[in-house]
Amino acid sequence: MSQIAKSSPLVPPALPEAHRQTGIPELARQSLNESSTRKSRWPARLDLLQSLSGLFLALFLVAHMAFVSSILISQELFYRVARFFEGEWLFGQPYPILVSLVAAGITCLLVVHAWLAMRKFPAGYRQYRAFTAHKSRLRHNDTSLWWLQVLTGFGLFFLTTIHLYDMLSQPSMIGPYESADRVWSGGMWPIYLMLLFTAELHGGIGLYRLAVKWGWFVGDEPDAGRRRLRRVRHVFSTFFITLGLLTLLAYINLGRAHAELAGERYVPPGNTLNTTVNAGKH
Amino acid sequence: MITLFRKPKPGAAPRRLTLHILRCNPADPASKPYLQAFELEEAEGMTLFIALNEIRATQDPSLQFDFVCRAGICGSCAMLVDGRPALACRTLTRDYGSDITLAPLPFFELIGDLSVNTGKWMRGTAERLQTWIAQSEAVDLDALEARMEPALAEAIYELDRCIECGCCIAGCGTAQMNENFVGAVGLNKIARFRLDPRDTRSDAEFFELIGDDDGVFGCMSLLGCHDLCPKELPLQTQIAFLRRKMAVTGLY
Amino acid sequence: MEIIHSDVLVIGGGLAGLRAGLAAQKRGQQVIILSLVPPKRSHSAAAQGGMQASLANALKGAGDNEDVHFEDTVRGSDWGNDQEVARMFTHVAPKAVRELAAWGVPWNRVEAGERTVIIDGKPVTLTESADAHGLITARDFGGTRKWRTCYVADGTGHAMLYAVSDQTIAAGIPVHERREAVALIHDGERCHGAIVRNLIDGKLSAYVAKATCIATGGFGRLYQATTNAVINEGIGAAIALDTGVVPLANMEAIQFHPTAIFPAGILVTEGCRGDGGLLRDVDGHRFMPDYEPEKKELASRDVVSRRMEAHIKAGKGASNRFGQHLWLDITLLGEAHINHKLREVKEICQYFLGIDPAKQWIPVRPAQHYSMGGIRTNADGAARGLRGLFACGEAACWDLHGFNRLGGNSVAETVVSGMIVGEAIADFCASTAGELTVSTALIRQCFERAQSEFAAIANHHGKESASLLLREMQATMTAQVGIVRHGEAMNAAVNTLQDLLLRSRDLGLSGRRSGADPELTLAWRLQKMLKLALCVSYGALQRTESRGAHFREDYPQRNDADWLKRTLASWPNSEQTLPTLNYESLDIARMELPPGWRGYGTRDAIEHPLTAGRQAEVEATRAALASSDRHAVQAALMPFRHLLPAHLRGDNARIGQHPGENA
Ligand SMILES: Cc1cc2nc3c(=O)[nH]c(=O)nc-3n(C[C@H](O)[C@H](O)[C@H](O)COP(=O)(O)OP(=O)(O)OC[C@H]3O[C@@H](n4cnc5c(N)ncnc54)[C@H](O)[C@@H]3O)c2cc1C
Ligand code: HEM
Ligand code: HEM
Ligand code: SF4
Ligand code: F3S
Ligand code: FES
Repeated sequence: MSQIAKSSPLVPPALPEAHRQTGIPELARQSLNESSTRKSRWPARLDLLQSLSGLFLALFLVAHMAFVSSILISQELFYRVARFFEGEWLFGQPYPILVSLVAAGITCLLVVHAWLAMRKFPAGYRQYRAFTAHKSRLRHNDTSLWWLQVLTGFGLFFLTTIHLYDMLSQPSMIGPYESADRVWSGGMWPIYLMLLFTAELHGGIGLYRLAVKWGWFVGDEPDAGRRRLRRVRHVFSTFFITLGLLTLLAYINLGRAHAELAGERYVPPGNTLNTTVNAGKH
Repeated sequence: MITLFRKPKPGAAPRRLTLHILRCNPADPASKPYLQAFELEEAEGMTLFIALNEIRATQDPSLQFDFVCRAGICGSCAMLVDGRPALACRTLTRDYGSDITLAPLPFFELIGDLSVNTGKWMRGTAERLQTWIAQSEAVDLDALEARMEPALAEAIYELDRCIECGCCIAGCGTAQMNENFVGAVGLNKIARFRLDPRDTRSDAEFFELIGDDDGVFGCMSLLGCHDLCPKELPLQTQIAFLRRKMAVTGLY
Repeated sequence: MEIIHSDVLVIGGGLAGLRAGLAAQKRGQQVIILSLVPPKRSHSAAAQGGMQASLANALKGAGDNEDVHFEDTVRGSDWGNDQEVARMFTHVAPKAVRELAAWGVPWNRVEAGERTVIIDGKPVTLTESADAHGLITARDFGGTRKWRTCYVADGTGHAMLYAVSDQTIAAGIPVHERREAVALIHDGERCHGAIVRNLIDGKLSAYVAKATCIATGGFGRLYQATTNAVINEGIGAAIALDTGVVPLANMEAIQFHPTAIFPAGILVTEGCRGDGGLLRDVDGHRFMPDYEPEKKELASRDVVSRRMEAHIKAGKGASNRFGQHLWLDITLLGEAHINHKLREVKEICQYFLGIDPAKQWIPVRPAQHYSMGGIRTNADGAARGLRGLFACGEAACWDLHGFNRLGGNSVAETVVSGMIVGEAIADFCASTAGELTVSTALIRQCFERAQSEFAAIANHHGKESASLLLREMQATMTAQVGIVRHGEAMNAAVNTLQDLLLRSRDLGLSGRRSGADPELTLAWRLQKMLKLALCVSYGALQRTESRGAHFREDYPQRNDADWLKRTLASWPNSEQTLPTLNYESLDIARMELPPGWRGYGTRDAIEHPLTAGRQAEVEATRAALASSDRHAVQAALMPFRHLLPAHLRGDNARIGQHPGENA
């Protein structure tokens, strides 16, 4: 009978070409043949970068909402916050260029994020049809949510451009009256309304997706963890949309009240000097 | 003591079911896909396995579909039931309305009607991802087996339970757009072998297999896979886990 | 005519076929495997409960070894098996489990310390030794004296099949899926491969090989109530029968599994009872101890199935709208155990019955489960009748199981026989006998014959419906050639089946589909299946005794005097409507364990005149070698190691013991 050694090696031999009768995708063939060359690390890095950029943008949005909603407390507070970001607390006087710089930075981040995310967009009509058909067939929550994220992302592409252009070009025009006038008399409120919904939905879903994607805050029971995360996402989006609506309403009201005087700059009570200095610049 | 089936409404007349089945015969270039309706009377405890066989026996002997174990364990019979992938053999008609639409799994090569070639794709993916225990040492069959922690063995089995049915692929939007995507089934297998101490591959070696946009970084966390896997594999956590490991590997 | 060449053609991608293919390929032979379905979908995947191998790691397995496993197997077979083969098998089984472990099968492991198990309906605390911690554990199964069944929760077959299949992929062995072998290429003496039908496009091609191995599994679909997959139609055995020269052995030896869910017939594993589940009747009474005070629910399958049917007949069955059944109660095992170790069972109950087995009892009734019979081979797996033809796994009658196989011995057989037969195939291919000498004329002749077989059906336009005839055959088999058999019923069955065979020559198809029309496929297979059904029923009718799973009301005793022999059914002339039966005696003079009482079931066998003599001989040998090592005693009684490939001959290590040491 047979005489093979009892410890014949179990390491599989390479697949001979003739044996590939079951049909391997072309790509597989390559990956098999190239297995000696090291695979590029870039997909990993880009994926990380996509998540980091999204995370950062979402956190920025949270902070930003807190900042613009300070108008709800008082006009003066909003004014102070604006000056704060212009570096008044540091240099003794405001430098609006700082806001432009931040806006430029955010713009870069957005471009990076959008570019990375766009790799995931359906490429061409065939993929678009394939995905939308799949989505409506499947009626599956997370799949539909992703589509919403694509749509809102697409919207954000335009909306943030407009908004950021404002902030880049007129960094000094941030203040209770200035902002309110832009919103109402400048006719920006529909843009803001859209921006608010798209950004909050996109950011909320994005954060949720980050958690499931990397397995954060999921716990031992993935299904329960996801239900929990979904609740958090709802609370998040609802809270910020409500907050944003109230804020926007405050700007609109202020803007309507101030419409006659549109263009006038806000002067905080008891701080005339600063205002004149500022006004003189324009 | 026990009611055998959930809805024993005594005396109620059985429902008439209409199965709308997507017919297609790729072997015949002239044939165009169309939906064909078959009517039949629902029976107690009827599964799609029973219903489809009845249709084939009494109405259209040319109807193509695949069943093997008819017990939900071999993964042959996945199809779209009202648009969602499911194992037909363990799908009870009573859980659906009286109109049920059946279509073959998308993504895979169509053989005819409800029959698709999942096996071919799975073999290709196995070769491509090298989903087997890659060992550097030979085993001595006369000696005691290597020890393993009981909990680890159970954890491996948890991931080994995949039946290669393809539901996760059919339920994955990424796969619909990218036909080279390895899908949750492929990623889960890598997770399974990575967990197994008998497999001596390193993360860098696994990175070679799944460290790109056709692998773990292609997954957009749509989670259709996790929610539709008939074996309820923990795909969500496994993919996230692999993503972390591969991302770290990708930093160097 | 497309011709595909290889050294070895394995027909069947289940555990047996894959393992045999791997063995041959490792010896340098080029192998092609054929399968009706992707190999991982083969019915081996359905094996839930486990695989027997005497590792003796678990506390309740302590003291186990090849000898005990051997004796259990022979008793289980009701002395109908080949004892040399049983020895080869029990010797290699531990190696097979260990090899599978190295290939990644996540066998459940021994956890040192205390654990509570259910034995005989009561919780018992076992303390597993620290020595065994992390080694492969085992559960209890019917008909075994030790806990010997290694398992992976209740997905053992799945885990095994995936591991072996992955190894064949790693080894680059091509599996041609969705192909059906429809005829063997042979000249009456030598087999040269097979004619194969592509189940996607319906085209035929010729696969020519030095050696052909049939590993096509069982033929449960001859029956209406069966635990088998729908592809288990026995075509592999049927094409061997069709040669006219290859006999099928012991086809009447059909096993019925006690616990198939009722009415779907889907199996819930023997592990349910092994782990402590109980059988109850309409009154909730646990009835098995009344019949089998010793082994109770864990007597061998044939015994339990028969007792269950008798109990139902005695009016103690519960009933639902589909008929009578009994209850399997695993509620006492607890939710945690069910969720971890009996998950498939839980899913099956949930999906097919809508019940939770941790809370409710499962309606069960015995159903056809396993075919002990099949293509008759020698210990090497070489088929009788044709050189170059081999068989292994459930399709073969290697004759490990005789008239009843023990739970857990079958998946073990697939792998073990694959290991052994694959080597024999490689040896054959390497020898001069294995040289390929086939003429293209012969290939063409076989090809055309197969082609005309299909054409004849497709173009006949008769009046019979294949699916109706099939149902009638299945109903006949379940009703009349089932668990409890009787001459009259079987006579009627044989007549019905002969009639069906004639009617199956007058089929009419609608012929609606090009390519591999499922209707044509069914019609073609029907004719083959009817022949197998006739081998089963006619063989059963002729065997006027009860042995193992073959139980006759009219001949309730095991009759060693007349029937210690194997039935060999062949079909030399295709015009015949009955198989030709021959018999092959078992040689008591060479038995290590002469016929006796099984330890359960009835105890009234009619003894063979040679039994007493051999018994005395065996006892004398044992007495003479009382002080020797158990391997030496065994070798003196019935040497077998020379039958094994050299690398499988070594002793098996167990804890506290090294290879070569005594137990
Ligand atoms: C529900 C169930 C549970 C079981 N549980 C256990 C258990 O716990 N323990 C145990 O030991 N045993 C168990 N068994 C028995 C055991 O699983 C089988 O006997 C064993 O797996 C058979 O393996 P095989 O390789 O011989 O055949 P299979 O696994 O059936 O494979 C047959 C192969 O042949 C192919 N084939 C068939 N005909 C053709 C053809 N004409 N041409 C080409 N290819 C063909 C098929 O595609 C398939 O790949 C169980 C059986 C059943 C039904
Ligand atoms: C130009 C505008 C934008 C576009 C086109 C865009 C597009 C997308 C798309 C398509 C995704 C999904 C990527 C994936 O699933 O892999 C995504 C993810 C994300 N986006 Fe945006 N987005 C934009 C702006 C923003 C903004 C302003 C925020 C902050 C609120 C943000 C936060 C996120 C987060 C947190 C994610 C999840 C990151 C990940 O999955 O790795 N995006 N974006
Ligand atoms: C550095 C960059 C940014 C600055 C300085 C800035 C500043 C402001 C200011 C001052 C307002 C008040 C209205 C106004 O003055 O016009 C505002 C409103 C708003 N901004 Fe920005 N923004 C920046 C970037 C972004 C980005 C990237 C997003 C979205 C992704 C965004 C979303 C919004 C929304 C939704 C509102 C409306 C708020 C509401 O409805 O309450 N902003 N922003
Ligand atoms: S992961 Fe689940 S859905 Fe995907 S193939 Fe495996 S069993 Fe099917
Ligand atoms: S559905 Fe697809 S995108 Fe990822 S999470 Fe599942 S593989
Ligand atoms: S037929 Fe096996 S899973 Fe449905």
